[in-house]
Amino acid sequence: MKIVVRKPGLLDTIQDLGRPNYRQMGVPEGGAADRQAMILANRLVGNADGAAGIEFTLHGPTLGFPQGGVIALSGARFEVRCDGVNLHWDETLALAAGTSLELGRALNGCRGYLAVAGGIELEPVLGSGATFLPGAFGGWNGRSLEAGDALPVGVAGAMRLGRANRPVAEGPLRVVAGPQLGWFAESALVGLFGGRFVVDAHSDRSGIRLRGPALRVEKSEELASQGVLPGAIQVPPEGQPIVLGWDGPVTGGYPVIAGIIAADLGRLAQLRPGDRVGFQALDREDARAAWLDQQGALDGSITWLA
Amino acid sequence: MKHRWITDRGLWLESRACTLGLKQKIEAAALPEVEAVVPGDGSLLVVLQPGQGAGPVLLDLINKAQPDASLEVLGRHHEIPVIYGGDAGPDLERVADAAGLTTSQAVELHAGAQYRVAFLGFQPGFAYLAGTPTPLQTARRSAPRARVPAGSVALGGMYTGIYPGTSPGGWLLIGRTREWVFDPLRKPPARFTPGDHVRFVPR
Repeated sequence: MKIVVRKPGLLDTIQDLGRPNYRQMGVPEGGAADRQAMILANRLVGNADGAAGIEFTLHGPTLGFPQGGVIALSGARFEVRCDGVNLHWDETLALAAGTSLELGRALNGCRGYLAVAGGIELEPVLGSGATFLPGAFGGWNGRSLEAGDALPVGVAGAMRLGRANRPVAEGPLRVVAGPQLGWFAESALVGLFGGRFVVDAHSDRSGIRLRGPALRVEKSEELASQGVLPGAIQVPPEGQPIVLGWDGPVTGGYPVIAGIIAADLGRLAQLRPGDRVGFQALDREDARAAWLDQQGALDGSITWLA
Repeated sequence: MKHRWITDRGLWLESRACTLGLKQKIEAAALPEVEAVVPGDGSLLVVLQPGQGAGPVLLDLINKAQPDASLEVLGRHHEIPVIYGGDAGPDLERVADAAGLTTSQAVELHAGAQYRVAFLGFQPGFAYLAGTPTPLQTARRSAPRARVPAGSVALGGMYTGIYPGTSPGGWLLIGRTREWVFDPLRKPPARFTPGDHVRFVPR
């Protein structure tokens, strides 16, 4: 079975849950930016959480299913047309042979996910099917999808029909203090926690650039490179923060004022250029509790219909 | 040693001289909550599995660590043949001039030193090699080159590096090697691991 790309979207890549074991070799974890959405889509089609699916960005692709297939769409909602039929998000969908799925603009958020029963079947690179665009490896020949690509689909397991109800998280993104928080002037902390930032158009899977109150460093010393993680808020000398993304480098040389908690990285993935965002401080133990709550909520979000 | 956090998953330590030794100790303990141990320049990031806290063994290793203790560090040894200067190393003359050396003296100095892989970053497989002789330590280019060829041996501040793939880059290029540095299809994919020793052999 195959999925055929009839018309690519703005940026469609094969993603799974990434490759966490190669950081010390300079390879970031990568994988689906909104992991919760990828996992939910996979569960709805009976896949393991880490099966490979498609991540699409702001404008989705048109995909053909010559032999049909069972799919689920999750993450940001997109316009979707499917041979005139209205499709639901976060639901198991059985597509007949010859179906064409036309995804349009994102209606909310930035990134959508498609999982197919059996998963997209690829030779893993460094243990993962995730596309790493900066290094041009993984996923579908290390690149984003193009018209004519025919993606092989694995063998599906037992099937159930399910529908998920994802709670919508709102409000500021939650952060824990970073190692260089003390380097910043008090005005920078007021700016970070009291200010609003706008997502810059020059944002991608490697980094999300924000524009807002300038965050000034008081300490003039140059920072030595340090290990960093997705969600780390780095501040270059001009004071406009860059949030490290999923495909960003594993070490960085800018002071890290704070870091977005794991439970809120999916919300970071859904920010679009022009969106406004604020930050709220949390301690590390509460951050861990938030992550565990989120896992529990994900487990309980699916209602199985049959 | 006090720890701080890089996001809620990365326990960050100002480990200074004991960075690589402590990294290897934590790895040897094979702790279930530890996903990766990533060294930086004088700091260490212990990445925890999602939803995990630091367990007693990890906390004990951290609390007992002395930032300025030199712990034993294990590593492999690599000899890297290099063509220095000319088209392969367009910045060699500039580096030699700044050090008050002839180009052949600069090559001798660079190839005579023993290097240790301190950490990797910038791009997959790019190793920061500590041990560059002081006269050769230089500032980076004010404007990075748009295209540095793969295999370029370069100087940046205190470090020597080898560009694994063709990419933009701001370090000073003194030579080039044909040896592989990073290949996602190899096991392991990166030639260099933190703690490894490297020598450059002029060709």
